[in-house]
Amino acid sequence: MTDDTQLLAVALRRRDPDVLDRLIERYQHRLYRYLLFLTGNAALADDLFQETWVRVLERGHQYNPKNKFESWLFTIARNLVIDVSRRKRIASLEEIGDPHSEQSYDPPDDRAQSALQMLVTRENEKAVQLSLLKIAPYYREVLLLRFQEELPLEEIAAVLATPISTVKSRLYRGLEALKSALPGGAA
Amino acid sequence: MNETPHARARKLFEQSLVEGLPPAEQKWLDAHLRECTECAFATATTRELLSALRSVPVTVPGDLAARTQLKVRLRSQQTAEASPSSTLLWIITAASWLLGIFSAPLVWRGFAWLGERTNLPKPVLELGFVLWWAVPALIALAVVLHQRAVGSRA
Repeated sequence: MTDDTQLLAVALRRRDPDVLDRLIERYQHRLYRYLLFLTGNAALADDLFQETWVRVLERGHQYNPKNKFESWLFTIARNLVIDVSRRKRIASLEEIGDPHSEQSYDPPDDRAQSALQMLVTRENEKAVQLSLLKIAPYYREVLLLRFQEELPLEEIAAVLATPISTVKSRLYRGLEALKSALPGGAA
Repeated sequence: MNETPHARARKLFEQSLVEGLPPAEQKWLDAHLRECTECAFATATTRELLSALRSVPVTVPGDLAARTQLKVRLRSQQTAEASPSSTLLWIITAASWLLGIFSAPLVWRGFAWLGERTNLPKPVLELGFVLWWAVPALIALAVVLHQRAVGSRA
């Protein structure tokens, strides 16, 4: 537990609006990117981005300074994505908790992918990013947290509320799935 | 079944990405990749793939942060207006305790008078007296629990 996280916990309990403003500025890119790739839908990512920060305000007293703030932030965002997927049944994000579920995974529709494409500028990265959207969400989210957000395994396990061994096995399988989803088969 | 050096190299490479490698195995992998162009190419391609993942040039909508900041501030104000401040709750609790302490002799006499009139057993009267004292604390507890429930639902 650092002094920074301790001070942050106090500020969150006080619902200090200036601290929240600074946090929104600081984490906007990482959070938006995470939500965009988890949902594959820019408009939904926009809504969930705002809702995540409203939850940070309302549940600030629950933040434990022993954990990194970004892990807590990603946990809130992930729970919101699961809530939305349960309500709208968009993609089978409910399966996040159960990769061996027999329910089939529906990839995001073409409109969602084209919305994402508009935001992605470099041509040689499009294939990787769109391949990411094709793989099952429970693999996608661990790959995002590990290789995009560069969280350690322990933090990913905390975000997913799952054992480290499960995180590792999803990472290995996710890497294989990502390589298979690339145009041409495997990297 | 024996593992080929190439299969072992690919496996160790993925392990190095996911959870890291012990120094001895890292050394073996580095040596193998220096000698085997096929494995070196495969691992370089995977590194490139992950590098592309990291350098995603996602553009955050220009006004998203500002809109969110405004929404959070408005929600903060609404919540502050809707719920009684904790200071007020403490003042009410303290006042209720003081009132309880100073009114205890009168209340005790009241219960004694009630006992004479109704011939109720002494344990019932004592329980009534304790409850009389506990009521403000129970109300305060109910208010706090209600606020927490509302907070966690939000």
